[in-house]
Amino acid sequence: MSKIDPDTKPMSPEEQKAYQARQKHRAAIMAGLLFFLVVLFYLITFVKINGSAS
Amino acid sequence: MTIASTSPYKLASAQDLFALTKPRVMSLVIFTAICGLLSAPGSIHPVIGFTAILAISLGAGASAALNQWYEHDVDAVMKRTANRPLPAGRMDRETALHFGIGLAVFSVVLMGLAVNWLSAGVLAFSIFFYAVVYTIWLKRSTPQNIVIGGAAGAFPPVIGWAAVTGDITLMPILLFAIIFFWTPPHFWALALFVNSDYSKAGIPMMPVVAGRQSTRRQIAVYSLILAACAIAPFMFGMTGVVYGTVAIVLSTAFAFLSFRVALSKTEDPKKMKAEKHLFSFSIIYLFALFGALIADRIILL
Repeated sequence: MSKIDPDTKPMSPEEQKAYQARQKHRAAIMAGLLFFLVVLFYLITFVKINGSAS
Repeated sequence: MTIASTSPYKLASAQDLFALTKPRVMSLVIFTAICGLLSAPGSIHPVIGFTAILAISLGAGASAALNQWYEHDVDAVMKRTANRPLPAGRMDRETALHFGIGLAVFSVVLMGLAVNWLSAGVLAFSIFFYAVVYTIWLKRSTPQNIVIGGAAGAFPPVIGWAAVTGDITLMPILLFAIIFFWTPPHFWALALFVNSDYSKAGIPMMPVVAGRQSTRRQIAVYSLILAACAIAPFMFGMTGVVYGTVAIVLSTAFAFLSFRVALSKTEDPKKMKAEKHLFSFSIIYLFALFGALIADRIILL
């Protein structure tokens, strides 16, 4: 994310709303991806442990 | 040249981050990687196989993001690419760079830890090759840029193969060669009828630098080398009759269409039917050839 110049005009309420909605959407997708990775790493660990046990 | 400025409050959307990975190009990468994985002798656990394909896809996405980070100025002047997140001003360059590097590191570490370090090494090299050797170093300095770029796109089946076997033998090298020699006729056919866009961006594409006739002759030469590489796995007994038949028929058609391009003298892009036919056929060719490889493997099993 870019650094915000201190001279920059503050966001209008509409811009702020759109910004927050976008932030929320990105956070939701990130949560979904993290959950997917947790499941994937669990399965990989399971396969690896099973593989080395056999 | 004008690049739309990015608002300091602009937060790249998830869709734009996804667009940065060039999903359409990624589909071909995924397909050829799956083909490399499925045509390799031996077996791989479905979870590990899935992880390998995921890592290859993420690596390809990282290469695309780094490519767009570097080429934001060129993308801004080409009609085809002007609406990408960076030239359109929907994302700042820093975000693209961080996203690309993060994705690259994650994909290589994931491949190394979950699959094997040979495939992770080849994946890391392919990202480096595309982002640094092709994009930064050679794309703007030589008309052979497409030939070099073809090498970067030819790695996925090799990585898929290495994920299963843990080694690299003649067969994955031939799969690499097929994509490598397929790329110049495919892209030069496109560059012949979208020539003006590349010249505007100052990219030394072969038709701009060497002229259309020289490019057409080179397309024909590459089609013959491609045919030799595509038929070789069958001739060496590495594949069955299904692949062999498809390779011979499609490579003959590819060479025929290429020689039709070589004989064409048209200068008007709107009248370049032979070039447009070759470009469309080249996409079908690669999908069908690699599809036949999988079909052959399934039948042999």
